[in-house]
Amino acid sequence: MTSLSAIEVDSVRGLVSEEEWKVRVDLAACYRLVALNGWDDVIYTHHSARVPGDENHFLINPFGLKFNEITASSLLKLDIDGNKVIESPYERFLQGFVIHSAVHMAHPDAHCVMHTHTPAGTAIAAQKNGLLPISQKALRFYNRIGYHDYEGLADDLGERDRIVAALGSHSALILRTHGLLTTGKSVASAFETMGFLQDACETQLLAQSGGAELITPSEEICEHTAAQYCSDDLTSVEMEWEAHLRMLDRIDPGYRD
Amino acid sequence: MASVRDRVSEAEWQTRVDLAAAYRLIARNGWDDGIFTHNSARVPGAPDQFLINPYGLLFEEITASSLVKVNLDGTLIDADEDADIIDAGFTIHSGVLAARPDVNSVMHTHTTAGMAVSAQKDGLLPLTQKSMRFYNRVAYHDYEGIATDLDERERLAHDLGDKSGIILRNHGLLSAGRSIAEAYGILRTLEHSCAAQIAAQAGGGELTMPSPEVCEHTARQYDDAGTNQKSSVATFAAYKRSLDRVDPSYAE
Repeated sequence: MTSLSAIEVDSVRGLVSEEEWKVRVDLAACYRLVALNGWDDVIYTHHSARVPGDENHFLINPFGLKFNEITASSLLKLDIDGNKVIESPYERFLQGFVIHSAVHMAHPDAHCVMHTHTPAGTAIAAQKNGLLPISQKALRFYNRIGYHDYEGLADDLGERDRIVAALGSHSALILRTHGLLTTGKSVASAFETMGFLQDACETQLLAQSGGAELITPSEEICEHTAAQYCSDDLTSVEMEWEAHLRMLDRIDPGYRD
Repeated sequence: MASVRDRVSEAEWQTRVDLAAAYRLIARNGWDDGIFTHNSARVPGAPDQFLINPYGLLFEEITASSLVKVNLDGTLIDADEDADIIDAGFTIHSGVLAARPDVNSVMHTHTTAGMAVSAQKDGLLPLTQKSMRFYNRVAYHDYEGIATDLDERERLAHDLGDKSGIILRNHGLLSAGRSIAEAYGILRTLEHSCAAQIAAQAGGGELTMPSPEVCEHTARQYDDAGTNQKSSVATFAAYKRSLDRVDPSYAE
């Protein structure tokens, strides 16, 4: 199959560790999956991953590429100040890095940070009551999601601290008036959490259609379900991620370049 | 080792092919949810055994041979060493199949339209011809958490009663049919009913519903038409032909 990627970038595989290369492939796959799901926003929003063994270096999308063009080699490697660690013909996008570096720096185990502007996510972010515990998927976030008030386009480095405080110990954050953010110990984990959050937002909007009265399980059941989801066992997450990669490989394995 | 096809009866093989087709159709319709949710079919001639998806495959990857056979106690039968199934899937499917000898296939989805209606207090409304099929004929099961508690089986079976469709509150949809074709047809009608309801409710416009008499009359028409399963069998055969044109690998 002809690769959809018209972007030619020299392979960096020989320049990076095997561990970094694997994370690059996963992160490029993440961009492709976000595009396939329609969660992308042209060349905006960002998903980042920490470089294994180099905790102050981060991989992020090169500014100007659509998500279905991103490859493992075209990802930028930035240091904590946003400087390129490996030369690239592409530029970084400051706003993205402000949000992502803040979360990475504050949470040593947040190895991947994802952020979207989907209409459903932004719509829930605009609702005063935020995400409601009305679907099994939403219950995963019961008392386990942060909210960050809107401050304008995120180019103020001071906003970093406020984002970190709003996220707290959670792995999901609703950016008021703006969109969604998730973190994970791996790309697979952040992606899985984002999938739950996106589905929960879409479901809520559909359920609210026309102002229908909604039902909410008891607090005990909500808390019980959230606790069921809170597992350190990432086996199912990894299994699902492998399934996603197989699907991408059938469609277009160019993300691995 | 002999292939799965050679190890099972011809009747079981046909059931496997149909169930794999149902998985592919659900994927093509966008009713799938990654590697989660599950659809099952009872093994012909072995009422305490059923087939279900192997944990870890997308629905678009499932084949007749890759389906896992399990008995109602949860023991895998003639399975690969690394084969596994989803606990919540076992709970839900074994619960229905054990309680309902007339049911041979159970399907369950997490579609956003299905989840949305499941969160609405009034549930499925008799707003469209398709939803009339479920007029006083769809059950509701309150949410209890992720279905890993085997005790939930009894409550689920009790709530389902003798119905063929159940809305799992705050969770999703489930259909139960005498055949895979029938379970798929019920699921499809239920999904369309939910999607149409959400679309009709958008914007809060006043809705119109037929009289209870017309609703009941229509539901009985559906009941009568479904008695011999002629239409669900013909429809499912047509779907399989469409799958055969795009990708016949489900039947492997």
